[in-house]
Amino acid sequence: MKNRQPLFHVVKREGASPARQLLAYVAAVALALAVGAVLLAVQGVEPVTFYRQLITMGIPGSRYPWRAVENFIKLFVPLLIVSMALSLAFKMRFWNIGGEGQFIMGAFWAGFAAMKLGESLPRPAMVLVMALCGALGGGLYGVFVAALKVKWGTNETLLTLMLNYIALYFLQYFAETKTDWNFFLDPGSARPKFAKFPASAQMITIPIGPFNLNLSLLIAAALCVLLYIYLNYTKRGYEIAVVGDSPNTARYAGMKVGKIVIRTIFLSAALIGLAGAFQVSSAGILSASVTNDVGWTGIVVAWLAKLNTAGIVVASLLITVLQFGCQTASTTYPSIDANFANLLQGVILFIVLAADFFTRFQLVRTRKEAAK
Amino acid sequence: MNDPIQVLTLFLFNIVLVNIPLLYGTVGEIVVEKSGSLNLGVEGTMAIGAMFGYLAGCAANSLAAGLLVSFLTAGLCGLLFAVLTVSLQANQNVTGLTITTFGLGLYFFVGKGLGERWPAMTASDGLVKGYSALEIPGLSKLPVIGKALFSHNALVYLGIAIALLVWWYLNFTKTGLRLRAVGENPGAADSVGINTLLYKYVHLIAGSGIMGLGGFYMALYMSGSFEGSNCWINGYGWIAIALVIFANWNPVLAVLGTLVFGFFNTLQIYAGPLAGAFPGPLGWLSAIPPQLYKALPFMITAIVLIASSVRKREGSGQPAALGLNYFREER
Repeated sequence: MKNRQPLFHVVKREGASPARQLLAYVAAVALALAVGAVLLAVQGVEPVTFYRQLITMGIPGSRYPWRAVENFIKLFVPLLIVSMALSLAFKMRFWNIGGEGQFIMGAFWAGFAAMKLGESLPRPAMVLVMALCGALGGGLYGVFVAALKVKWGTNETLLTLMLNYIALYFLQYFAETKTDWNFFLDPGSARPKFAKFPASAQMITIPIGPFNLNLSLLIAAALCVLLYIYLNYTKRGYEIAVVGDSPNTARYAGMKVGKIVIRTIFLSAALIGLAGAFQVSSAGILSASVTNDVGWTGIVVAWLAKLNTAGIVVASLLITVLQFGCQTASTTYPSIDANFANLLQGVILFIVLAADFFTRFQLVRTRKEAAK
Repeated sequence: MNDPIQVLTLFLFNIVLVNIPLLYGTVGEIVVEKSGSLNLGVEGTMAIGAMFGYLAGCAANSLAAGLLVSFLTAGLCGLLFAVLTVSLQANQNVTGLTITTFGLGLYFFVGKGLGERWPAMTASDGLVKGYSALEIPGLSKLPVIGKALFSHNALVYLGIAIALLVWWYLNFTKTGLRLRAVGENPGAADSVGINTLLYKYVHLIAGSGIMGLGGFYMALYMSGSFEGSNCWINGYGWIAIALVIFANWNPVLAVLGTLVFGFFNTLQIYAGPLAGAFPGPLGWLSAIPPQLYKALPFMITAIVLIASSVRKREGSGQPAALGLNYFREER
């Protein structure tokens, strides 16, 4: 039999240069925008005008430019926190795709606290209680899966996926059931409708001139710094890296892998729940579509940033500009809607996923003598 | 309408009619997963198949053209998944989710963009005729069961035929058995000379194509009316992923599973009429919140997942290498 050899074979590349990676990102975004431009032109939309509106996000020339910035922050903070939280789990190769469900649980329990205690607590205490309830609600919803995974090896990808929908319909039940005991709903409305939170349950804002700075942005920034330190300079962060690299090595080194997994996933899911609490407290009301797909988008962001904390800040900023920008720009075009952002996001990620290969591996020409 | 027999008949009829797209999605995903790939892009793949299949079907005024195009465009999603995860070693979860994001984005982009030029299904008699019910002679005259099982459109029978065909293929043909070897242990399959790369590519494309047919079915079921807010697929792709687990990766069990999930899915709408038609035995149905019916498929699947991991039973159909990329140089 003739011994056929492929022309090339694939070899792992040692340490890709950062310049090369950066180039891949710039190329991905540029290519995605080019693809988008072609599609826009097909629809009869002037791409340059559309992109200008997308990038400026309707802020210049608006009567209330600060309002737009505030709304931008409301979209940015949950995405940033969720992406960071997911990167924790992904670093350990724990495929938590249950961000949606954990976010809903966080939002739900924060809303529960707001409706039950909102009248009786002062604002700082109330916001703190909501944050704790949210973190606990999300954390427990996630750690349940981690415990099963550790004990019996249950497939966490599929289980967290199922739990997303269970959480969604759980929340929908409270959104759509008009009964006496359902204190989540507005008693004044004949149709089921979530009630606004009491004033003390609304997120604290710091007025700077005409601009109200959302406190959750500051907290999210602090969390970024803390997480960076946690992952890079603490024993626990090191353990996460080792478990992610090889659970057997970790076990051999005497680490309690199960404990590390459970602890880390609780932290990850609790952060997602916290983001949910911030979201509802900034909005001042619950909603059946509270997540705004942040549990999915967070996966995209974490992956775009290669699970790197600083990268996550940049990537979530970029994705928020894309989403918020599309939302504002599409208001002037009847044929485009906010989903256009998903299309661009998809193309960017496809290209980054493909480009990744060439930073991780290289193709080597198979030599003649090796073929013998 | 309140005639008990009629309500029951319609209820059973709708269990089949409304939920067959689930079967297409599930059987497609079984083919994909048997090759060792966990493709979470079912929802997006079905959306793309639905959109382009429908448009092609209207343009050509033919059911066959719609089926072909939905299979091919959805197959392209599978090809994309294969290039990224098989050849370029990208993470399967992320790639699948991206296909869903992208697919839904493209679905709304195309649908919204057509606006006034959106083709109505009623204008295409080829599609209307193709989707109309075929009465199976003799059997369709049976009381209750006849209407419920034997007077459906051609695509219902096609879906069941595909499921049976895939079952036969996976269990009784040489290529099918080899495919399962690839999903269980690609390294071992490779070492006995099976072209794992080719197997993965072909089955990712074919499986995704089958999902696309389910999308096309959904488009016809919604009579092609495009809404800007809700996708036709409306979460069926995610339920299909759950159903694969429920059916234990077996296409024949997938038919049964479709009926079980479909039962709850349809009960959500028929709880009221059923409670009205049978106030004695079924009166309690209307007291159950509809959200519970929606959540039940996911709850059942979660329990199945947990239970099968606890028992670690021998007969599990889950491919051992599911979700793991195969890197030949590390064999």
